[in-house]
Amino acid sequence: MRPSALRFFVLLVANLVGVAAFAWPFLLPAAVGTDTAHGIDAPWIFAGLLLCLGTLLFVELGRGGLGPKTVALLGVLGAAMVALRLPGFVAGFSAMFIVVLVAGNAFGPGFGFVLGAVGTMASGLFVGGLGPWLPFQMVAVGWMGLGAGLLPRSGRSRIPALAAYGFVAGFLFGAVMNLWFWPFAAGSSELGWDPAAGSIDNLWRYVTFYMATSGWWDSARAVGNAVMVVVLGGPLLAALDRASRRMRLHVRPRIIEVGAGRAAAARSSLRVEESPDSTGQDAGEFPRRSDPRTVPQKTNRPASAG
Amino acid sequence: MNQALRVSDVTFTYPESETPALKDVSFDLPEGTFALITGATGAGKSTLLRAMNGLVPHFTGGEWSGRVLVQGRDTLEHAPRALADVVAYVPQDPSASFVVDVVEDELAYAMENLGSTQAVMRRRVEETLDLLDVEHLRARSVRSLSGGERQRVAIAAALTAGARVLLLDEPTSQLDPQGAEDVLAALQRLVHDHGLTVMIAEHRLERVAGFVDIALGCVSGRVEVGEVRAILEWTGAGPPVHRLGHTLGWSPLPLTVREARRSAAASGIILDDDDRAAFPRAGEVVLSTTHPLTASYGARVALEGIELDLRAGEIVALMGRNGAGKTTLLRCLCGLHAPDLGEVNAPGGEPEPGANVALCPQMPDNVLFKETVAQEVQVTLDARRIETNGPPRARSRRRAEDVLRELGLLDLAAAHPRDLSAGQRLLVAVAAIAATGAPVLLLDEPTRGLDPESKSRLSAMLRAYVREGRVVVFATHDVELVASLAGRVVMLAGGRVIADGRPEDVIGDSAVFAPQTARVFGPRWLTPERVAEAMSS
Amino acid sequence: MNVHPAAWVVWTLCGGLVALATTNPFYLILVFAAAWVVHAAHRHPGPGIRSFGIFASFGLLTIATRTALVFFGPVSRGSVVAAMLEGARLAVMLVVYGTFNSVSDPWRLLRLAPRRFHEPALASVLALSIAPRMIDAGVRVREAQRLRGIHAGRLRNMPALAVPVLSTGMEEAVTLAESMDARGHGRGRRSRYRSDPWNVPSWLTVVAGTIPLAYVAAMVWTGSPLTMPAYPLGWPEVSLGAVAALIALALPALVPPADPIEPA
Repeated sequence: MRPSALRFFVLLVANLVGVAAFAWPFLLPAAVGTDTAHGIDAPWIFAGLLLCLGTLLFVELGRGGLGPKTVALLGVLGAAMVALRLPGFVAGFSAMFIVVLVAGNAFGPGFGFVLGAVGTMASGLFVGGLGPWLPFQMVAVGWMGLGAGLLPRSGRSRIPALAAYGFVAGFLFGAVMNLWFWPFAAGSSELGWDPAAGSIDNLWRYVTFYMATSGWWDSARAVGNAVMVVVLGGPLLAALDRASRRMRLHVRPRIIEVGAGRAAAARSSLRVEESPDSTGQDAGEFPRRSDPRTVPQKTNRPASAG
Repeated sequence: MNQALRVSDVTFTYPESETPALKDVSFDLPEGTFALITGATGAGKSTLLRAMNGLVPHFTGGEWSGRVLVQGRDTLEHAPRALADVVAYVPQDPSASFVVDVVEDELAYAMENLGSTQAVMRRRVEETLDLLDVEHLRARSVRSLSGGERQRVAIAAALTAGARVLLLDEPTSQLDPQGAEDVLAALQRLVHDHGLTVMIAEHRLERVAGFVDIALGCVSGRVEVGEVRAILEWTGAGPPVHRLGHTLGWSPLPLTVREARRSAAASGIILDDDDRAAFPRAGEVVLSTTHPLTASYGARVALEGIELDLRAGEIVALMGRNGAGKTTLLRCLCGLHAPDLGEVNAPGGEPEPGANVALCPQMPDNVLFKETVAQEVQVTLDARRIETNGPPRARSRRRAEDVLRELGLLDLAAAHPRDLSAGQRLLVAVAAIAATGAPVLLLDEPTRGLDPESKSRLSAMLRAYVREGRVVVFATHDVELVASLAGRVVMLAGGRVIADGRPEDVIGDSAVFAPQTARVFGPRWLTPERVAEAMSS
Repeated sequence: MNVHPAAWVVWTLCGGLVALATTNPFYLILVFAAAWVVHAAHRHPGPGIRSFGIFASFGLLTIATRTALVFFGPVSRGSVVAAMLEGARLAVMLVVYGTFNSVSDPWRLLRLAPRRFHEPALASVLALSIAPRMIDAGVRVREAQRLRGIHAGRLRNMPALAVPVLSTGMEEAVTLAESMDARGHGRGRRSRYRSDPWNVPSWLTVVAGTIPLAYVAAMVWTGSPLTMPAYPLGWPEVSLGAVAALIALALPALVPPADPIEPA
């Protein structure tokens, strides 16, 4: 296994590549083609972007070694995302985001990213909505979960921080999701990407484009996220924290070796009836009996059903 | 004969616990045995079972000492996944354990993990489908299966890897009688015809006691192994005929009705069976139907011509096969389902769910969302207060404790509902619903997965509830509970009421529904306790 | 005869790129027609059954939006037409994806995942299997809470709906993890019970995608015009070779659709 520092570095680079895949219009001011050649550059740029994102997803998701507990959690929480994607559909708002926000915060940034990506893909498959936006959306939702995992995970600031983050992330998500198709959608219009213009100029064009098209749409999402965290954050985080404890995601059994001498003593021996409904007499040995009618004490219940 | 399981001096403590869940457990189990693990909830049945395939301690963590050898393999050296081809495990709720949607693919999952070739997988899938008699279900979605079918598919899915040892956690507790029979018959076949070793943890002993070869009794983490009769006596739990034998001093204690009959004949006990007592229906009518009820779901008629009235103080059992209309009737009575014909007259007019008629749904977990049991009850009280514009919330905390005390659940007041056992959760759910104080309380199949202790607490709760002129109706398959608790039985079949009267008359001499004691001594003697009463007088 | 899902993926990616590459209305109409014909021939029941129509609607919305943006700058006949065409190429790309959704089956797509992605793919499979059960659970929880007098539809009472569903789901996750662990999850190299064979129709589908893409790439390389001149407005050049290449995109429609009884 790689040392974790190297691992972290690889993940960081992969994520930076991903950022470039979204933010390239601001980072590539130099001429990639003239005005009339815009129509030709578009697909190749798009293909390049897909490749960048593919790399990111490849590194993040393909790490392997996700044990059954993690996979099961991803499955159940992913199912929650799938179930919540459609109902309550008001503009950009989707209840699905609350899952990513609380699960990312409860289980950490790595889990949050994978959950965001997997849940998005699953909900796309579920509704038959796999579009060209899918890799971008997987990464964007993944980042939302990742960010939630970097916030405080205990204490009095936990819910307020998460609510504020949900609000900001609601807009950021929309802004980022518009970014990838902005150069194609706005094309050669005044609000479109101009390779000859500088970064700041392009940024300004983009902001105008964003406000004109989906600013209000995303405000529904931002407000919705914040409200969901305020109303549901406390109870859901409590439930997830409990689940995380009981599932014992990082478990190491402690084995105590006992001397061999004890093994031979008092081993309950066995008489096995050959046929199950024998009416035989109680022949042979009975097991040791303790008090005649020992009523089982209700012990301090261990965490799993006994 | 080879030993399928060799357990030596196992002591295990869960991570956050102080008392060991298993203490110095040692036994050997030969191949081809059908073993039963019995004991009260919390005594260690599930833990013992999961120690046989390494889930304890690898999956759960905790402190472990001792050794378990499964078919010669040490569970300490092999993680559970490495033992998949040796020992198969079926958890308590199989629908939660399914990975894919289609039955056939679910069976293949284990073998895919093992990296088997396609030829091997296809052959095994066919064999296992036939082994568990589920071949006709191969293309079905797992969600569309009945309880018994699901259980058998889960068993099949675990066995395809080629295991010769099978572990099952309460395989029949959630099933109706037919499903339970199918599963037990399949397990018998596996043991007798195919030589598998099967180990089940169960507390519904009236069904399984006659099937198994040996028993392992768990009491507070200690495990004793031996003959079924003796172990049942040691743990203090057993099917009704066992208790009956105890009461009458029979030896050996019977495990099945057949054995009990022989013992009864041998001991010469004859009980007076003549019982022509009338069925006095005292008490005012609390709920009634005006005109016969007919209800349907779309084109399918679920209820026809139901005329029913409920009187104060009654505890009514609603019985019938699956699909007979029990749930539909309950839903009509509480106002969740609008009947096509006829009307339900509840106290105060129309039935209002949660107000004058309360229904406790089949899955108690669906109701629990607070941090303590007291809060669960409080939430209901507060909600009702809002509906009825009653006194302020400040006093509801004490009111919640009063309610719990009345129902006998005060010891659970501070517990987190999800920390409790399945049976205790049901009690909490019933309490939370009963807190509405509705004059009519309905329960839909409350006895699913219920251990004996919780069952008796439930009986006590329901008896307490009807004291103030209220009515309780519960739909169930559990004949023994009906025998001990119900004052009246209503039997449905095909959407119609086919019997309505005392338990003695309705189920006492029924071929299908008679309780064990009645099968031995006659319809008048529904429970061992009644026999004991008669003998002592 | 089932077309391998990977072939559909290749076809879709190629078709989408081709659509994005041109604003020539004749070429775009050809791509649209190819997508429509393939959809008509191969659509099958599943979550994607209405996708073609939905994606086409998105496409119309895109055209409208793009055209609206023209009014932020100088308006002329040419700029409006150029704007509509820029929207149209996006719309046609979306329509190609609409066809993809209607002809593919999510379970078969997930089976495509290479071993390295087995676990995220399995998590997606689980999510798809569990989602209907969760939706059911939500309905039942809402009803159960109503029976206590709690109206879980109101915002204030949302925890009464969300917490039981989530907590029960978490508990079921433990059972699921146990069952997976006991059945050998993570043991090593996996095999596949069902495999989709790579057959002639699959090759045909791949070729149907690569020919147009290669031709368009060649056109870019040689500098042949792919756009419609907008300033001033004029007729676009149409090359017969391009037309032929784009018609090739519709080749999968010639393959008889998969037998519906065949297991997915």
